Amino acid sequence: MNTIKHDVVVIGGGPAGLAAAIAARKSGCKDVLLIERDKRLGGILNQCIHDGFGLHKFDEALTGPEYAQRFIDEFNSLGIDSMLSTIVLSVDGKRNLYVSSRKSLTRIEAGSVILSMGCRERTAGAISLPGTRPAGIYTAGAAQNFINLQNIMVGKKVVILGSGDIGMIMARRMTLEGAKVEAVFEILPYPSGLARNIQQCLNDYDIPLYLSTSVIEIHGKERVTGVTVAGTDKNFKPIPGTERHVPCDTILLSVGLIPENELTRGAGVQMEARTGGAGVDDTFMTGVPGIFSCGNVLHVHDLVDHVSDEASLVGEYAVRYLDGEIKPPESYIKIEPQQGVRYVLPQKVSGMRDFTLSLRVTTPSRDRAVWVKDGDRKVARKKMIRLHPAEMIRINIKKEKLQGAKVLEVSVE
Amino acid sequence: MSKKELTCIVCPNGCQLEAMLENSDSGSLQITEITGHLCEKGPEWAEQELTHPVRTVISNILVESGDLPLVSVRTDAPVPRNMIFDVMKEIKAAKTKAPVAIGQILIKHPAGTGCNIIATKNVRNV
Amino acid sequence: MRLYKKIENMEKQYDVCIIGAGVVGNAIARELSRYHIRVAVVEKESDVSMGTSSRNSGVIHSGIHYKPGTVRARLNVQGNAMMSHLCRELKVKIQYIGKLTVAQDEEDIQTLHSLKEQGEANGVPGLEILDAAQMQKIQPGVGGIKALLSPSTGIICPYGLAIGLAENAHANGVDFYLSHEVSHISANGHGFRVRTAAGADLSCSVLVNAAGLYSDRICRMLGITEYSIYPCRGEYLILDKRLQGSLNVLVYPAPRKGGAGLGIHLTNTVDGNILIGPSNEYVDEADDYACTAQIIELLKKEGHELLPWLSTSDFIRNFSGLRPKQMPPEVKGFKDFVIESRKDVPGFINLVGIESPGLTCSPAIALMVRDMVAERLPLREKSSFVAERPGRVGFFHELPPDEQAELVEQNHDYGEIVCRCEQITRKEVLDAIQNPLGVRTVAAIKYRSRAMMGRCQGGFCLPRIVEILQKDFGYRPEDYILNSAGSRLFAGSVR
Repeated sequence: MNTIKHDVVVIGGGPAGLAAAIAARKSGCKDVLLIERDKRLGGILNQCIHDGFGLHKFDEALTGPEYAQRFIDEFNSLGIDSMLSTIVLSVDGKRNLYVSSRKSLTRIEAGSVILSMGCRERTAGAISLPGTRPAGIYTAGAAQNFINLQNIMVGKKVVILGSGDIGMIMARRMTLEGAKVEAVFEILPYPSGLARNIQQCLNDYDIPLYLSTSVIEIHGKERVTGVTVAGTDKNFKPIPGTERHVPCDTILLSVGLIPENELTRGAGVQMEARTGGAGVDDTFMTGVPGIFSCGNVLHVHDLVDHVSDEASLVGEYAVRYLDGEIKPPESYIKIEPQQGVRYVLPQKVSGMRDFTLSLRVTTPSRDRAVWVKDGDRKVARKKMIRLHPAEMIRINIKKEKLQGAKVLEVSVE
Repeated sequence: MSKKELTCIVCPNGCQLEAMLENSDSGSLQITEITGHLCEKGPEWAEQELTHPVRTVISNILVESGDLPLVSVRTDAPVPRNMIFDVMKEIKAAKTKAPVAIGQILIKHPAGTGCNIIATKNVRNV
Repeated sequence: MRLYKKIENMEKQYDVCIIGAGVVGNAIARELSRYHIRVAVVEKESDVSMGTSSRNSGVIHSGIHYKPGTVRARLNVQGNAMMSHLCRELKVKIQYIGKLTVAQDEEDIQTLHSLKEQGEANGVPGLEILDAAQMQKIQPGVGGIKALLSPSTGIICPYGLAIGLAENAHANGVDFYLSHEVSHISANGHGFRVRTAAGADLSCSVLVNAAGLYSDRICRMLGITEYSIYPCRGEYLILDKRLQGSLNVLVYPAPRKGGAGLGIHLTNTVDGNILIGPSNEYVDEADDYACTAQIIELLKKEGHELLPWLSTSDFIRNFSGLRPKQMPPEVKGFKDFVIESRKDVPGFINLVGIESPGLTCSPAIALMVRDMVAERLPLREKSSFVAERPGRVGFFHELPPDEQAELVEQNHDYGEIVCRCEQITRKEVLDAIQNPLGVRTVAAIKYRSRAMMGRCQGGFCLPRIVEILQKDFGYRPEDYILNSAGSRLFAGSVR
C-alpha cells in the first residue's frame, strides 16, 4: 500500500473544508490536501439551489451552488491539491489516515488534520416514529438530492414532519414542481427553522404550519397512505382526542441534524454531548493534538457564512500548529453554559488570544441579554431583541478580559 | 388606521415588522410607520411587500448531455409574487444543452417579466 | 418493472414444491438440491426471507428451554451443531458468543438448575452455573446473583442465512417463484397442482408447507382445518454500532412463569448493532408489522436501564416481527412444532407453528423433511452438487487495510464507498443488485449488501444507489420499488 505525506489534510470539500483549505494555503502552507468523497467540490451546497447564502460575507443573496463556486474558484486559483471521489476510511490519534478511491487504498501521514465532514439528518428511526415503514418516507435532504440533482420527483401529496429549514425549503420546492404540500407539523411550540422561511416557503404558498403537533402514526403497507397527527402537550406527548388523519403519499422529515463524527470518534477525540461534535479550544483544536474541527461536524450552524468564517480561522490555526506556534496551555479556562443556554463553543480557551464565542439558547425569548461572567465579573454582554434556538449567537471576546479567569459562565438574563 | 405584521425575508434575521397603515385621500393605503427592523433594509422591503411583493424564483432546467441531468437556475431579479407560477411554467418547458456556465442566461424575460433566468452552477458536457 | 426473474412457460412439473421461502423453506430446498429431483420454491413476497426469518433476534439457541423429548428440543440441539459448518459453506456470519441466563433471586436460581438439567437431557454441551464473580468476568456490569452459561448459544445474520440457503439451492438447480402467492392447490392422490395469483401452474408429487405465518391457510386449501396460527408481534429497536463492545455475551433474564417469549433483552448482532426487544403482543393480521408508540417507549425505557450510557441518537431504527404461534392469546405458552407427513393427504409434508427456535432448527428440519420426502421419492445424490457458495464471509470494511488495498487493486469497484455509515463498497452493492435470484428491489440490495442499514438509514447512500441503478442498469424513476409492486419509491421525473 502507498503511503504519502502532507502537511495539512482537510477532510471534506463542503463550505467548511473549502474555506479551511484556502485559509491554510493563504497562511503560507504549500502542502495542503483536501479529500472529498463526491466527484464535485461544494458538498451539500450543490443541492441547496435556493438563495439566501452569503448575505453576511458577500452582501448578496446567492444560491448554494453560487456560494460554493466562489470558494471553488479561489481554491482552484490557489492551486490547492485535492482528491475527489475519495473517502476517508479512518483517522487515528497520530494523524494517519486510510483513504480509498477507485484507484487505490492509500495511507496518508498528516502534519495536521482538519475535520470538516458536515452533518447528517436525523431519521424516522432516530425519532422512533410509530406505524409501518412503507415507501415514501424521506429525509428532506435526501428528497432535495433526488429532486435537484437527479431529476426524480419523490411524491405528489406531501406531509412534512418538523419545521427545520430544509423541510420548509423543500415544501416550497415541491409546491413549485406541482406537488401538494398538505402541512408542516412541528412537535415544539415554536418553529425550529428561520422566520423568513416560514414567510417565503410556507405562507407564500398557503402551506399551514401546525406547532405543538406531531405525527403519531404512519399508515400504509406498500406506499405511505397517510399519517395520524395529534396535538402535543408540554412533555411532547399526544393529547387524546386531538388525533386526526391526513392522507398523503409522502412524508418528509426535517427533524434535526447530527454532526457526522464517526471518524472523529475513531481518532480518539473527546466528544461533547451538547453539540454532538468534538470538544475544542479557542484554536478549534480537539483533545488530540494536531486534529482540528470546523463547520457542521463541530456544531450545527444556522448560516453557511458562519461556517466559512469559522473554517477560515481553523485553516490558519492548523498551519500555525505545524509551525509550532500552537501548544496547549498549562491550564484552560472552562466555558460553561448556564441558564437558558443550550451549548457554548469553544468549551475551553487558553486566555492567550481573542476568540468568538458561539452559542445557542434553549428557548425563544425577547429583550434579553447574553452574559458571559467570570464569577461575578462581567466579561461580555450582548443585548438581543430576539433570541431563538434556531439562531446561533456569536460574541467576540478580547483576551484582556480573560486575565485570571478560571471558569466563564454563559447565561441568558 | 390599521396595523399589518410582516416577516422580513431580506436576511436570516427575519425581523418581525409592524407597519401602520392609513387610508389616503385617494383611497390607496399609505404607510405611516414601520417598526421592528434591525436594519434599514427592513422598511424598504416592507414598503415593497405592501405595495407590490416580489420574489426570486428558483428551480432547475433540464440539461441534455451534461454531467448532471438538471442545471439549477434563478431569476436575476425578483419578479412579482403573483407571477411565480407563470415563470415556473416557462422554466418547466425549457431545455438546454451542456456545457452550461454559471451566470449564463437560459431564458430571456420569462412570462413577460423584465428579468432573465440564469444558471447558478456549471454543468460540464459528457 | 420485473420483481423476479421471468420463468417462461408457466406450466411446470416438479417432484417437490415448497411453499414459503423463509429460512425453513430455503433450508429444505437446499437440502433437496443435493439429489436428482426437480424442486421449486413458491413465495408470495418479492424476495426470500421477507417474513419471520428476517424479523427476529438472530440468535442460534442452545436448546435449554425446551422439554426433553419434544421435536423442538431435538431439532434445536441438532440444528445448533450443524450451523457452524453450514455457515462456513454458505459464507454466512455466525459467532458462538454464549449466553448468560441470569437469576435475581432464589426462585430464579431454581429455574437455572432446572434449565441446566433440561438442557443436559437435551444434549446441550458445556452448561455451567456461574456465581456473581464469574459472571462479572464474562460480562462486567451485569446485575444478578447467579447465571447459567450456555456456551453454544450464538448469533447469526438471519436473513444472511436464508438468502445464502436460497442462493445455494438456486445454484444447484432449484427454481424460485417469487411474487407468486399460492391461490389454489388441488390434490389428486398421486400429486398436487399448485396455482399462483401471478399465473404459475405447477404440478408436483410432494408438496411441502413451509408458509410460516400462512401455514394454516395452506392447510385449509387442502381441507386440513385443525391448525390455526395466531400472529404474535415482537417489536425491536436497533442501536447504533457505536455501542458495539458493550456486550460480550447474550444476557437474558431467567424465565418467569406466564411469559410467552424469552423476555425483553439486549442482543448483539453479527454486524455490530445491539437489538432491544422483542415485545410480545398478539395481533390480528399476519402482515401487521407496525410499531407502536407504547412499545417503543417501553423498549427505550428498558434500554436505558440495561445500558445507562445510551443516548437518544443511538436508536437508529425500529422494526417488528411476527411469531407464528399455535396457542391463542387466551392460552399463551408454547406448543411443539408440527412436522408431519400427512396420511390423509399423501405427499403433503406439513410444517406448522415453526416459531423460535426455528432459525436454529432450520438445517435439522431440512433433514427431517428430506427423510419424509425419501419415503415417497427415490433420492439419488447428484455429483454436480456444490455445497460452497462463492464469495467471502463478511464485508470489505471488516478486512485489514492491506487486504483491502489488494482488493481495490484487483477490482476498482472496491475502492468506491457507497454506503458511508457501514462502509459498503460499490462492488458489494453491484453484487447485491445482480443477486443470483434476480430480485430487483431496493430492499434486496439492503439485505444483501447492508447498504442503507447504518445510522443514517440510507439518507446518504440511497441517492447514490439510485444513481447506480439509473446509470448502469437503465432504471427510470418509476422502476424503483422498495419491496413489493405497490411500494414505488418515486412518482416520476421532475422534468
